[in-house]
Amino acid sequence: MYKLFLCLRYLFKRRIAFFAIASVWLCSAMVLIVISVMGGFLDLVKARSRGLLGDLVMENSALQGFPFYQEFIDELKRDMPDEIAEATPVILNYGLIRFPNGNITKPVQVVGIRLEETYRVNDFRQGLFFDRYYPGTTMLAPQQVPVLGLDPAGKLVLPPELEAAHAEWRKTATPEDLERAKKQKGAFFDGPGLFYSANWAEEGRTAPGWAQDELPGLISGIDICAKRLPDGDYERYYPRGYQVLLTLLPITPRGTLVDSSPPKVAFRLVDDSSTGVYDIDSLSVYVDFDIIQEYLLMNAQQPEDGPPIPARATQVQIKAKEGVDPYETRDRIRARWDRFMAAHLDQTSEPQLLAEVEIKTWEEKQAKFIQAVEKEKVLVTILFCIISLVAVLLVGCIFYMIVQQKTRDIGIVKSVGATYAGVASIFLMYGAAVGVVGGILGMVTGAIFVHYINDIQDLLTRVHPNLQVWSPEVYTFSRIPNVVKGLDMAVIFAVAILASMAGAVVAATKAARVWPVEALRYE
Amino acid sequence: MSRRDPFLQVRNLQKAYLLGRFVLPVLRGCSLNIDEGEFVAIMGSSGSGKSTLLHIAGALDTPDRGTVSFEGHDVFAMPASGRDRLRNQVFGFVFQFYHLLPELNILENVLLPAMVGSSVLGWFSRRAAARAAAEEMIEQVGLTGRIKHRPNELSGGERQRVAIARALVNRPRILLADEPTGNLDTTTGRGILTLLKRLSEQGQTIVLVTHDASVAAGAHRTVTLVDGQIRSHAAGGPAKAADSVAPSS
Ligand SMILES: Nc1ncnc2c1ncn2[C@@H]1O[C@H](COP(=O)(O)OP(=O)(O)OP(=O)(O)O)[C@@H](O)[C@H]1O
Ligand SMILES: [Mg+2]
Repeated sequence: MYKLFLCLRYLFKRRIAFFAIASVWLCSAMVLIVISVMGGFLDLVKARSRGLLGDLVMENSALQGFPFYQEFIDELKRDMPDEIAEATPVILNYGLIRFPNGNITKPVQVVGIRLEETYRVNDFRQGLFFDRYYPGTTMLAPQQVPVLGLDPAGKLVLPPELEAAHAEWRKTATPEDLERAKKQKGAFFDGPGLFYSANWAEEGRTAPGWAQDELPGLISGIDICAKRLPDGDYERYYPRGYQVLLTLLPITPRGTLVDSSPPKVAFRLVDDSSTGVYDIDSLSVYVDFDIIQEYLLMNAQQPEDGPPIPARATQVQIKAKEGVDPYETRDRIRARWDRFMAAHLDQTSEPQLLAEVEIKTWEEKQAKFIQAVEKEKVLVTILFCIISLVAVLLVGCIFYMIVQQKTRDIGIVKSVGATYAGVASIFLMYGAAVGVVGGILGMVTGAIFVHYINDIQDLLTRVHPNLQVWSPEVYTFSRIPNVVKGLDMAVIFAVAILASMAGAVVAATKAARVWPVEALRYE
Repeated sequence: MSRRDPFLQVRNLQKAYLLGRFVLPVLRGCSLNIDEGEFVAIMGSSGSGKSTLLHIAGALDTPDRGTVSFEGHDVFAMPASGRDRLRNQVFGFVFQFYHLLPELNILENVLLPAMVGSSVLGWFSRRAAARAAAEEMIEQVGLTGRIKHRPNELSGGERQRVAIARALVNRPRILLADEPTGNLDTTTGRGILTLLKRLSEQGQTIVLVTHDASVAAGAHRTVTLVDGQIRSHAAGGPAKAADSVAPSS
């Protein structure tokens, strides 16, 4: 009993104990912050990786792709309806994009997609800009440019299709959505950046409508066509429907560049895509699968001399049904592919393109990146735990000092019959109490810090730009993860208590060894 | 324990301290028997080893040689936990320099041995009784009304009385008091002595170390420590004149 009693007395009577509490407090808060941010980052990376690719990816590493993709997709959809929700072919290639007004040319990765299928396979749609505010109006098929005009009442309006889509969005938008939309520069036709409006008077038109030639649509990665503002929003350089030029590099099935000069194709910029991964958003443009397939000469062809050449795709992205284990599905698709391949090997002149096709889950495909982040998390955690050893040592020192100062008191307690274990447990409990108090303080402040971490960073950035520690370009996510997990908290709290007790062990042993007479002999 | 076992028997104690290269023998075959209910005064010049003897007899220190047995049990042959229990239940120690815990108030200081003797759960059932016992002891030493005070708010005599109350709260079989009057003026010292006498009349066994012959005169029996041995003994009181000094070997 005296143990509890004395340990409480000491905790509040010894001011120096507050230093021990403070060090446990700071260290546990620090570890909680680091683990929360790194863990949140890891979760984001995983979610993002899956969102980018769908659940499973089939591909060979060759630029020229592989044939018979459509036959296999059809087979999958037909024979595995319980497991596969959607599958869509993708073409990946390289090209140059040119924005005529500034004569700016940039290298890009050209991604050929079937838009509707892609919406179902991955999270592509969530990252589109115009599709959010004008749902359903983003298309990759050839289209004209929407132009702002005046309605009979003299108000600026868009063509009816766009107005209707926007009205649709407004119906379902939450107040936060509206608030956010208001912040988007020029989101609602009052800004110059988003829609053409300059020419309508010159052309003698007053009504809104569609202008210029029909050209296929192109969705650009956000960091190619817009500038990121410090507050995280974007300033868009080009209006919707802006004409861009794409230079492509067709490759034959054998893997050689075609002899003729590379095709230059005009597209209309219809939307921009933000996946949240900077490397993708600053490099990728998305165009229609069938259109780009033709320009890249990856469509089915019938040469005058020789057998027909089948169409090719570089990737097949597959969405598994809800609740299906992607790894089991992967194995079944693999088995199916092996059989499929065997049956098709003799129908192509390039069988190695089929043989090299691999089927991976999103996790395997992104394994390198995910593992890098995982390792980093472990490393940082270990590092901070080592730093926390300093706190343990500090607790140890402070306790040692207390024992030294209180040797006489310990002698008294021993002289009235306290046991070795009893005296030791006073200080261990004292250590635990320091851990509990410091741990609670640490968890509370750590959780608050993590919750407001983005505001804190904004504040720091305002003080000095160099204080911006989280750079979206480096971490690919615009915001610092700010969720604290209960399990992390519980574990860190428990470790804080154990570590404080460990820090108290030396002092506790010393206290328990106090020889009553020695301690009491002199006043 | 058989009937023949003496109550507290100190046999042939030897204790020496190392002072640098010198060995300073303090106790050299010191023997003493204490009967139940006896009030024994130990006298001796300063530095003769009285405190050392009392500490060893009260299991606070260990001898180099010799034995102490309580009701026939060899104190230094039992496990440490047994000695802890003896210190808590059997011996009540009053130190020359009071040795109260400065952070606790008077009541808490007096309660300390009772707390040490019980587990957390045990304490909740014992608390009321222990508190009553502590308050009774404080009343016996005449400090009721000051139970919330800190030791540093008390005079030396008052502190010594608190120390006595603490030593008695667990109703020890033997009270060991090391010069309880040594630092006090004569009047205050008398007060303490009166208190001890009253306890003795209630049947408390007391071993008292003192310089002061007039204090020793209050005891049943006085022994003197000379050259590390109990040399002489004088009947200080009417009772217990029996020979309780074991021959030194
Ligand atoms: N820890 C120790 N180390 C060395 N010498 C010690 C130690 N403890 C006691 N002594 C010596 O042993 C001798 C006896 O000490 P003790 O305290 O028992 O004497 P005492 O009879 O109680 O004296 P006093 O009447 O002054 O209290 C003294 O000479 C003292 O210096
Ligand atoms: Mg002494």
